[in-house]
Amino acid sequence: MSAGISQEEALEVLQTLRSDEGVGGAAAVRGGVTALQLLQKEHALGDIITFCSALDSALGGGVPVGKTTEVCGAPGVGKTQLCVQLAVDVQIPVCLGGQGGQALYLDTEGSFLVQRAADVAQAAVEHCTLLAHDHEQQAALKDFTVENILSRLWLVRCHDYVELLAHCYLLPDFLTKHPEVQLVVIDSIAFPFRHDFEDFSQRTRLLNGLAQQLIQLATEHSVAVVLTNQMTTKVWNGQSKLVPALGESWGHAATQRLILHWEGTQRLASIFKSPSQMEATVPYCITEGGFRDMAPPPSPTALPSSPGPSSSVQQSKRPRVEARPP
Amino acid sequence: MNWEQLDLNPRIIAAVKRANVKSAKEILSLSGSDLQRLTQLSKTDVHHLHTAVAQAYCKRPLVTALQLLRGECPSLEPGHRLSFGCAVLDALLRGGIPLCGITELAGESGAGKTQFGLQLSLSVQYPVEHGGLGSGAVFICTEDSFPIKRLRQLIVQQSHLRQDLPKALVRSIRFSDNIYIEHAADLSALQTCITQRVPVLLSRGSVRLVVVDSVAGLFRNEFQADETVERTRHLLAFSSTLHRLSHTYHTPVLCINQVTDVVDGPNPGRCNFGLVESRVLPALGLAWANQVMVRLMLRRLGGCVTAGEQSCVPRRLEVVFAPHLPRVSCLCGVWLEGIRGIAMEDSGEPPQQALSGTARTAHGPGTAPEGAGGT
Repeated sequence: MSAGISQEEALEVLQTLRSDEGVGGAAAVRGGVTALQLLQKEHALGDIITFCSALDSALGGGVPVGKTTEVCGAPGVGKTQLCVQLAVDVQIPVCLGGQGGQALYLDTEGSFLVQRAADVAQAAVEHCTLLAHDHEQQAALKDFTVENILSRLWLVRCHDYVELLAHCYLLPDFLTKHPEVQLVVIDSIAFPFRHDFEDFSQRTRLLNGLAQQLIQLATEHSVAVVLTNQMTTKVWNGQSKLVPALGESWGHAATQRLILHWEGTQRLASIFKSPSQMEATVPYCITEGGFRDMAPPPSPTALPSSPGPSSSVQQSKRPRVEARPP
Repeated sequence: MNWEQLDLNPRIIAAVKRANVKSAKEILSLSGSDLQRLTQLSKTDVHHLHTAVAQAYCKRPLVTALQLLRGECPSLEPGHRLSFGCAVLDALLRGGIPLCGITELAGESGAGKTQFGLQLSLSVQYPVEHGGLGSGAVFICTEDSFPIKRLRQLIVQQSHLRQDLPKALVRSIRFSDNIYIEHAADLSALQTCITQRVPVLLSRGSVRLVVVDSVAGLFRNEFQADETVERTRHLLAFSSTLHRLSHTYHTPVLCINQVTDVVDGPNPGRCNFGLVESRVLPALGLAWANQVMVRLMLRRLGGCVTAGEQSCVPRRLEVVFAPHLPRVSCLCGVWLEGIRGIAMEDSGEPPQQALSGTARTAHGPGTAPEGAGGT
């Protein structure tokens, strides 16, 4: 009613619109697409590789662009390391199997240290230099320098949840102005929302709104949204276990959920929730260069070439980077 | 908030005023549909309102990592660290402890944790070009009384510890005048201290280091086993205050923590941070660990190291986690003049002898494989 017209008038407008569209045929219902179109679009968007080939294949190629992925884990297990790795890897030139994109990093914990990003970028440049064979790849590498990588990594520090919410309202405009940005990282979502809240229903409401905004952002602007979350101890039936923080309803927020955890001295990544991938647990490690496979490479069957749910569709043409430390 | 300052249609501003919305925080916390209902504005208007308020709220421009690396935004990334006053320890931590964020040092009693706090309270007083921050320190004691005797000893010995600096410079600093000592016997005293007195010292610039010795004491004593929810709430309030102070004033915060014994077997509800060989873990659990940026652990080892005339029990300082550091460790010793790392070619063997001269050479810190516990 905000347009100041009566209900009858509004109905008339809607009917006119509908009959206009009807001319194009049933398939052209506004905004409607077939499953095949969606699948093709998803493929065209691609994935951001993690440099841990075991995790890449478990994720079906990497962290998907156009979707939201939540990374949960105890402190020190490697959440921030994975985020920094992704922020660098999204920039790998297309001819080398990357996305040739840029990244926006919202740091709420103050744990983004640029020194570390420079390390990871340096290792990625060295790794890609080893892979470049033809002229096109070598030409692309001239642009893929540590300085350029860091200049395409945008950083925002948020000190409280209000600032985070404010930045999220500004994201659509930023992404329209910078269409090269293909990755938005929020590290972490839990930190600002775990203090300053007396009223948990308000927190749930805000988080639900934020989740919705981020999903919309991922789809409309074709970006990968990566959120990190902390873990908390839950006591249930006299037994305690580690679960992601922010409550049950937040569990529905992201399309994919990845849990990083320790098993003895081994770091493991488990795919906890994914609409497209099997549940899987793969080992990884954090090296000086960043997020990597365990030293002995995984068995060949786990490589991306294995027949997966996507093999019936035409594979993307770009060569896949063997994501292993040089 | 002054709505007139926003670049908005007067019609929207009038609607906001009518709806009796007072602050930007309120606007940003309301979802689009809630705001539509409240102000009777259209979806597009609400979108404009959200964007305009968000823009006014986020004054800081976006920066790139390259600008940070080049030191073009000192307010976001100070670029330097607080030195320990020892080349080996600084090398282990890539320059020292970060200026923004909470650094925790956990260890058993007698490991030498307080020594680190004292040494940093002195090294912070050197000028920036010598690894300090040119300011004082506030030392909050929650357990024992402040070890004033040891502090005096360290001050007298400063010229021995910092042989790399001109003697005149070391002598010119009046160390004991720049250390503010606070005693907090209970949680409310601690809260008053960090919310009222410490901010005053920080805003005056008299202090650029906060040491809490220790965080565990009060939080472990004041709560019963069944009061975990309450304890977590207090712990979060405490840590967020420290976090905010650290980021506002670019002031490193060192929190000394106790350790807790690992008595039962594997427990899915406990995170061991990959420290399988360790019989102890830092106290206060996951709620506190989530707030810590750099976690260090100090362990007392067996044996003996000598340097010149002195001998002491070696310790291992280990990085449990830090966003910018691999899991490395080095040996160190507590000497008369302070704590010094022991440069080692191979950290696998217990040290037989370390001369004071070699502890200062350019050797990198010994690195231990992931998860290696103390020998």
